[in-house]
Amino acid sequence: MNIIGPDYLVFGVDDLASSAEYLTDFGLTPVDVDATGGLFEALDGTGIIIRAKSDPSLPDPLPTATMLRQQVYGVVAPEDIDAIAAELGKDRRVTRLADGSIETTDVHGFALKFQVTRRRPLSMPAEKINAPGAPAQRAPNELGVFPGKPAQPRTLSHHVLFVPDQDAARDFYCDRLGFVVTDVLKPAGPFLRPRANDDHHTLFFITTPEYMKGLEHLAFHMGGPTELMLAGTRLVNKGYQSFWGPGRHKFGSNWFWYFNSPLGTHFEYDADMDKHDDSWVAREAMLTPKASQVFLFEAQRRWMPGPDPKGIVEDEGTPEW
Amino acid sequence: MVSTAPETTHALCRADAIGEGQARGFPRTPGARQKVIVLRKGGRLHGWLDSCPHYAGGTPMAWKTDRYLNGEGTHLACHSHGAQFDMETGDCVVGPCLGQRLTRVRLETGADGMVRLAED
Repeated sequence: MNIIGPDYLVFGVDDLASSAEYLTDFGLTPVDVDATGGLFEALDGTGIIIRAKSDPSLPDPLPTATMLRQQVYGVVAPEDIDAIAAELGKDRRVTRLADGSIETTDVHGFALKFQVTRRRPLSMPAEKINAPGAPAQRAPNELGVFPGKPAQPRTLSHHVLFVPDQDAARDFYCDRLGFVVTDVLKPAGPFLRPRANDDHHTLFFITTPEYMKGLEHLAFHMGGPTELMLAGTRLVNKGYQSFWGPGRHKFGSNWFWYFNSPLGTHFEYDADMDKHDDSWVAREAMLTPKASQVFLFEAQRRWMPGPDPKGIVEDEGTPEW
Repeated sequence: MVSTAPETTHALCRADAIGEGQARGFPRTPGARQKVIVLRKGGRLHGWLDSCPHYAGGTPMAWKTDRYLNGEGTHLACHSHGAQFDMETGDCVVGPCLGQRLTRVRLETGADGMVRLAED
């Protein structure tokens, strides 16, 4: 079962226009989007699909506040879909669609879809840095920051579910679908990576009461910490609400910056996540602020020391970068 | 209610700047990060701390400047996890903070038409 990770997360929203505005400003590209919604994709073609919450094409909603309606997983080959259908068909309804994909539900009733991945291979450099003692990554006269520097989400990284029973969730994804536990934050739950992805996690569970069942957040990988902070700063400058970050997590080592959204969940930029193989032994830690992050910062309005007797020179107008 | 607060104290906004069914956020004190949500429902102004009770200490609820309502405009919403609150009572009706409520901020409208925090 060579599952790569989420190709798309599908939402039924109560405000298509606001959601489209948000996703576009977040840095995703609208694809075939019309009055009924559509796909907003990252650079590799993974992304977010929005529809009106009353759209009959969507799987049924959960009886909670979540707007998440389906998790679409990409797999390597058609044989992987056959294997998943055979396994999950043992105890639940699995529907085969005309394009060969299958739809079903997980142990908590979250709607799932499995398809041969639609993601496009990316070939682009990581954020380049120069450091003494190491070969320069940027050529002479190649600038680190410049007006219009791109900072677009590269790929859908991971998502985090509120679940009432973390053991049942772990067993379903690990025993039935081949995910591996990479680390555990107790008592919240485990980080999971699927068989065909070496990222520290594409899925994490947080144990909650039944009435909270839903999507805690989703994240897109950026090209590096500067891209993450540049993209987040651009959101802040447009009036979007930062929730947590920027900072750097311990488990996974990824940089993070979370924002509120009109899709009823947090959207995270992440960058520079650890990679693992099967030799990795999962760690355990109690979920505390200290265990969660190495450091945490908060954006503030730009200022500088200077000749002004107040010692502060504030930006005026829309930042150009 | 006509204000007893001195007109020199921090004004949040003009009362007539908040239309029926609208909500906006204003710094609780000059320059403060903590905001007060001012909304008008049934003709009356209501003030709520911009602080979702889901997490201790509260977290800001808008997804963008002044975007506090759900898509239908029927409820205050926390755009962290989609919790919805009654605009007049502050009660959470769906979401992670079910059974909790927003913290009311008492408002007064002065003779100058400005909305201020009520003096206790």
